[in-house]
Amino acid sequence: MLNKVKFLMATGLVTIALASNSLAADHVLRIAYQEDPKTVDVQMTQDFYTLPLNVYDRLVEAETSGPGQTQLVPGLAERWDVSDDGKTYTFHLRQGVLFHNGEELTADDVVYTFDRMLDPKTKALSTDILNFVDGATERLEGTTTSVPGLQAVDKYTVKVVLKEPYAAFVALLASPGASIYNRKFTEPLGDQYGLTPETTNGTGPFVLKEYNLNDNQILAANEKYFKGRPKLDEIIIRVVADSETLRLLFESGELDVFDIDYAPTQLPYFIGSDQWKDQVRSGPRVGMYYYHINQALKPFDDVRVRKAFQMAINRDEILQKNFYGKGAIENGVIPRGISCYTAATPIEYNPAKAKALLAEAGYPDGVDINLTQVSSWSSKWSDMNQIIQAQIKEAGFNAQIKTMDESAYFASRKAGTVDNYTQNWSADFNDPDNFFYTFFSKSGTAVRGYNNNDEEVFAALDKARSMTNAEERCALYQKMTDRIVQEDAAWVPMFSLDHAYVVQPRVKNFVVPWNGWSDMSYYKMEVE
Amino acid sequence: MLTFVIKRIVISIPVLIGITALLFIMLNVIPGDPIALLMKEHASADVIERVRSQMHLDDPLITRYFRFLFAALQGDLGVSIKLNRDVTTLILNAFPNTLILTICAALVSWVIGIPVGVLSAVRRDSLVDHLFMGFSLVGVSMPIFWSALLMQYVFALKLKWLPVSGFYGYQYVIMPAIVLGWSSAGVIARLTRSSLLEVMRHDYIRTARAKGLRELLVIRRHALKNALIPVVTIMAIQVAGLLSGAVITEAIFGIPGVGRISVNAIQARDMPLLQGSVLFATVLVILGNLVADILYSVLDPRIRNEMKGGSK
Repeated sequence: MLNKVKFLMATGLVTIALASNSLAADHVLRIAYQEDPKTVDVQMTQDFYTLPLNVYDRLVEAETSGPGQTQLVPGLAERWDVSDDGKTYTFHLRQGVLFHNGEELTADDVVYTFDRMLDPKTKALSTDILNFVDGATERLEGTTTSVPGLQAVDKYTVKVVLKEPYAAFVALLASPGASIYNRKFTEPLGDQYGLTPETTNGTGPFVLKEYNLNDNQILAANEKYFKGRPKLDEIIIRVVADSETLRLLFESGELDVFDIDYAPTQLPYFIGSDQWKDQVRSGPRVGMYYYHINQALKPFDDVRVRKAFQMAINRDEILQKNFYGKGAIENGVIPRGISCYTAATPIEYNPAKAKALLAEAGYPDGVDINLTQVSSWSSKWSDMNQIIQAQIKEAGFNAQIKTMDESAYFASRKAGTVDNYTQNWSADFNDPDNFFYTFFSKSGTAVRGYNNNDEEVFAALDKARSMTNAEERCALYQKMTDRIVQEDAAWVPMFSLDHAYVVQPRVKNFVVPWNGWSDMSYYKMEVE
Repeated sequence: MLTFVIKRIVISIPVLIGITALLFIMLNVIPGDPIALLMKEHASADVIERVRSQMHLDDPLITRYFRFLFAALQGDLGVSIKLNRDVTTLILNAFPNTLILTICAALVSWVIGIPVGVLSAVRRDSLVDHLFMGFSLVGVSMPIFWSALLMQYVFALKLKWLPVSGFYGYQYVIMPAIVLGWSSAGVIARLTRSSLLEVMRHDYIRTARAKGLRELLVIRRHALKNALIPVVTIMAIQVAGLLSGAVITEAIFGIPGVGRISVNAIQARDMPLLQGSVLFATVLVILGNLVADILYSVLDPRIRNEMKGGSK
């Protein structure tokens, strides 16, 4: 207790760093997020990637090559080969890469990292990455203690054997969940790994220096980073739950970057402000706003009703009014920016036709439906629901908006009883599989409240995962887009939005990441 | 006195056990799954089921409850599902921040509340009274999130006297303490005023005045001591409440206190953490009441006699 009081009252280094603007002169970047990530062990999260993206590296990296564009570049692996049958991947590691604790990266560390993810004792949440690896399922279920598909061929060569080809595998290895750990350091720590600076170790451009739960995290430059020392000396990340406080912190110069996602209604203010309009940085988000339809619930078991629901929503009005027109209407399953993307058949906004479809389905006098939203989420969702409620009324949908807490919402999604809801999905990796399989596969749809019930789609999506001919694979996805959106009317694709940030003039080289995430690598960023 | 304190502590044990049982049942009745919440949009049915079983969350309710109770009796409140950290350590680490905020807020509320209440009572129906009561009404009525925002805007953004948010030194405590203290100051001022007015009507005050004591002395020596008894009760309960976490203030001013931990726990359906926070809050409220009772006895000899087992 005394120490805590001393800490609070003393004007120590952290205090100075966080409180004063004097350090603005040094190369310290000050950013914030609204919720504490809780851990730097990326295998234990599905949500918080800022720390992992800066503390670790992956075998392959998804580098932002332009607005909304990415390319896979060598990371810890300087090159990789794929066997002709598409099942065996051989990764040749860079030599001389050091972990923060001074250990050299070897093939054994890579094997260990992936085996740890599958080890039932880890209780990892990110295991989907390795679903295709030979022996992964058995290891997860605890029937074996090793994974035949993961082999260290020599000190710097790793071989990964898949049960069947999986076209998205390399792209998936570039996602934050596939970050590489050091066996010697991590193994003895068990479930305590990643909770403090003392229990965290990566190869990445920044070293975790402080972890104060619900308060702040501080990263320091890795002097021995294999790609060269970062330009920033330090990154201070504050945990600030309240969005208005975040804005005030930014405007009073205590933060260098303000993520508009935390307060979307502030966009017009920043764009209209003489002080800030030139400081807005915006880029496409490779993600999709959608309206989910639960086909297991009446009246949405009828395709005509689903079609009417699609036609009754004026997506352009929502994009213009709620999001200030900063985005693009989407009509398919994958948004702009994902490989294989081509413009899909547009969904027509036509309330009169929707009304006729409802009548044809047996609801000439309209039909009562529910729309679901979560109380703790940003008001943008409830604003959207209110507009949609008014729009679809014209077609005959009498919508009640049901508000529930997040926990109850996810429970009802899992149970398949959730009513229609609107949400957003941003790409984890650049492959159509990340959208198609997540939403419309048999296992994906089950956990989201049945937005698909088409066996042919299930089979096609399973097939597409293991197709090795890129052209044929894209053609299949395009066919499935028509089937899912136009024929089955299984969901309402809405739009992909731009992601805007406002940065202080001292921030240089701020690049919106290819996927438009709030979580990004700060390796190339500079402050004056 | 000691017997009284021991008796009170013993009585509170079944209360604590009852509350944990109630909480366990309630949390199992309301829908929610901590693992689904950890995975959110990335939820996969297989992973959820597997991790639930790995964490023994699918054991029967009664098994889980007795496992918790047995460990809690040995001083082990378990490990938080969401934060993967020891619950006792989490609460004890957050508590000093909440304690500092509470002490400062309580001081603000007493330093403002009691003198304002006394002055309003003494100058009843005067301009001062109306002004002060208006001021305390604003304090009571204004939601904390609003007064906090106004203060941040004026003192941090415009005047730049104080930092917007954070908890890294004394200057960071000033705004949250005033915001939180002001809202309790209103209650204390109004209570002090009404209580003092009530006491001033008693015969012994008239006697004190009759024997020629100066008004200030009458108030200080005779009236205030009696008038403060109900105020002390409210103060003790208020402090206990503040100690278990000023949720909104902590969120707005970025204070990593107990309130943040409790909100995390509820939102995440994090049973061990929630049990820990509720147990902690219950203990504080019980202690707050106990302190109020002890303070009574200091202020009122009749109550002191009662505690000793004496008759009225």
